[in-house]
Amino acid sequence: MINVIADIGSIALGKLIRMGEALLMLLQAIVVKPKISSISRLIQQLYIVGVQSLVIILVSALFIGMVLGLQGYTLLSAYGSEQAVGQMVALTLVRELSPVVAALLFAGRAGSALTAEIGLMKATEQLASLEMFGVDPLHRIVAPRFWAGMISLPLLVAIFSLVGIYGGYLVAVDWLGVYGGSYWGNMQQAVDFNEDVLNGMVKAVVFAFLISWTALYQGYSCIPTSQGISAATTRTVVYSSLAILGFDFILTALMFGGTI
Amino acid sequence: MTPKGIIEIKNVTFYRADRAIFKNLSCTISTGKITAIMGASGSGKTTLLRLIGGQLQPDEGQVFLFGQDVALLNTLHLNQLRSRMGVLFQSGALFTDLSVFDNVAFPLREHLNLSADDLYNRVLLKLEAVGLRGARDLMPSQLSGGMARRVALARAVAIEPELILYDEPFAGQDPIAMAVLQRLIKHINAQMQLTSVLVSHDITEAFAISDEVILLGHSGVLAQGSPDELKASEDPAVKQFIHGEADGVIPFHFAAPPLQEELRGLNHD
Amino acid sequence: MKKRWLELSVGLMIVAGIAALITLAIQVSGGSMSRNADHYTVTALFENAAGLSPKAKVTMAGVVVGEVVSVGIDPYALKAQVHMKIDGQVNYLSIDTSASILTSGLLGEKYVGLTVGAEEDVLVDGDVIEDTQSALVLEDLIGQFLLNFGDNT
Repeated sequence: MINVIADIGSIALGKLIRMGEALLMLLQAIVVKPKISSISRLIQQLYIVGVQSLVIILVSALFIGMVLGLQGYTLLSAYGSEQAVGQMVALTLVRELSPVVAALLFAGRAGSALTAEIGLMKATEQLASLEMFGVDPLHRIVAPRFWAGMISLPLLVAIFSLVGIYGGYLVAVDWLGVYGGSYWGNMQQAVDFNEDVLNGMVKAVVFAFLISWTALYQGYSCIPTSQGISAATTRTVVYSSLAILGFDFILTALMFGGTI
Repeated sequence: MTPKGIIEIKNVTFYRADRAIFKNLSCTISTGKITAIMGASGSGKTTLLRLIGGQLQPDEGQVFLFGQDVALLNTLHLNQLRSRMGVLFQSGALFTDLSVFDNVAFPLREHLNLSADDLYNRVLLKLEAVGLRGARDLMPSQLSGGMARRVALARAVAIEPELILYDEPFAGQDPIAMAVLQRLIKHINAQMQLTSVLVSHDITEAFAISDEVILLGHSGVLAQGSPDELKASEDPAVKQFIHGEADGVIPFHFAAPPLQEELRGLNHD
Repeated sequence: MKKRWLELSVGLMIVAGIAALITLAIQVSGGSMSRNADHYTVTALFENAAGLSPKAKVTMAGVVVGEVVSVGIDPYALKAQVHMKIDGQVNYLSIDTSASILTSGLLGEKYVGLTVGAEEDVLVDGDVIEDTQSALVLEDLIGQFLLNFGDNT
């Protein structure tokens, strides 16, 4: 029995130490004077992290919006309230689905790619090589990827919302015959920019931070073997996903819990 | 205290987990020579290289590089020291997202302020020295292992350092590549008047080009001297390594109970 | 050429993201960003404010003119006290304006409807509306219906 407690204790302690290491890594990477030369690295990472995630974001947003339109119409028509489908689609997307689904997709696509890339650089001694050339790998490699993640995901979430709403429009108005005017009109009445759209964007920023941090730390601290890299990549996706869902609940409760 | 050599290891003790890799190790690496650090696997060769480069700190003792205690330096000074030395990693460690040209140009762009033309010419000259000037626009993924290592060598000498560390340069190379590397290491050392330290376990190749050999084992230095001196040594541990004996001071069998007790189906009492 | 495409696509993505945000602001949320337009506060006392919550609409002739700020209790009059903020430009509500709590649509969202009276003086910041009609409570309605029904048989 004592052994079990001791084991749990040491596991918990280990995780705490890892969190501390992760925080130190992050601080060392981002607390630095910005240089002009780092802009080009940032742009390159924005392409790899952001632009290359666009396809999955656009396709998913379209389908999710269309499904929302379809399901929403079906549910609301039972109460004779099909006209409200616009605001249903918009609120669902903007408050919840856009930040959460886009973040989960981002963690799976960009997060795992970041972890694998840095893990491989560690395994092939590229990170050590940079150090020996007097270049801090945290500034050169980790920092641009971190900022690329922080900038990309909120942009992707905004795009996700818009494309999803349009997807709902396609289904509800073009296919199912809801009046176009009421789709947008009801939506505009129900959706508040500060309350709904901005809160959704705040979620996006928080998720971006969690995903980027986790992905970069897992890659940077992985065991530099093929098995180690694969384990680290898995951890990135799992930890990021759990963090996203957990923080989503906390943020939702904080933002929307007051008004019933 | 004037250091005698470009690198001085003084009473260094280093632990990894619970195992003592080095206990009270001392040795000196003379300037201007090619020194080989050798030993069986696990004797700490690569660890020593990392201690010299400042990537690891000794638990006890001091490592002096260019006369300065590596452990006491802040990042700025450490980087200044590092700009006076080049390292060739075992896998070459080329930056996979840069071309061959950009890889060799990397240290030049970081440490020196050359004009575009000067930089270009320097890179070409270094690539010429390793015989890969024509490959300058290829990406690392397009190179063979041997070629990658030669590019990494060009990169390591690009800023014309005073010291080069080679981590297992001959490991896994075909005979031609090995001959090429041998020639390059000797040539570069003579031409640029460097100090070269190579970590290896290839007796033939290392002995052929080294001026001095340091043999590591049992958490310390087993022997130090010229290749001929080591070949003539009577020390059993040294002899086992030099002559490649399968069994000797370092045993063949991993510790285990007697075979008779472990086989199944026999009558045990 | 490859480098050009890289920077171009990054630029496009950033522009698309910001444009999406702006579109969301304008098209989707109908910009209730008029936080800074000036309002004046008016209070109304109701017998029963059941179902009315803060942020509910305040309308006049069916047009939104303001928002409910808070719903509390007036400890002296022992009635529900509803504070509303009215758009500053709507400065023609007479002091005998009446306020009713109405239900919007089948899903039962409650809002406040104002009906202007005949007096010349208008409501200003801090005034109290006294002529009020409380929310319709379903149970009362059913009770009343049954009562009438019972009477007729």
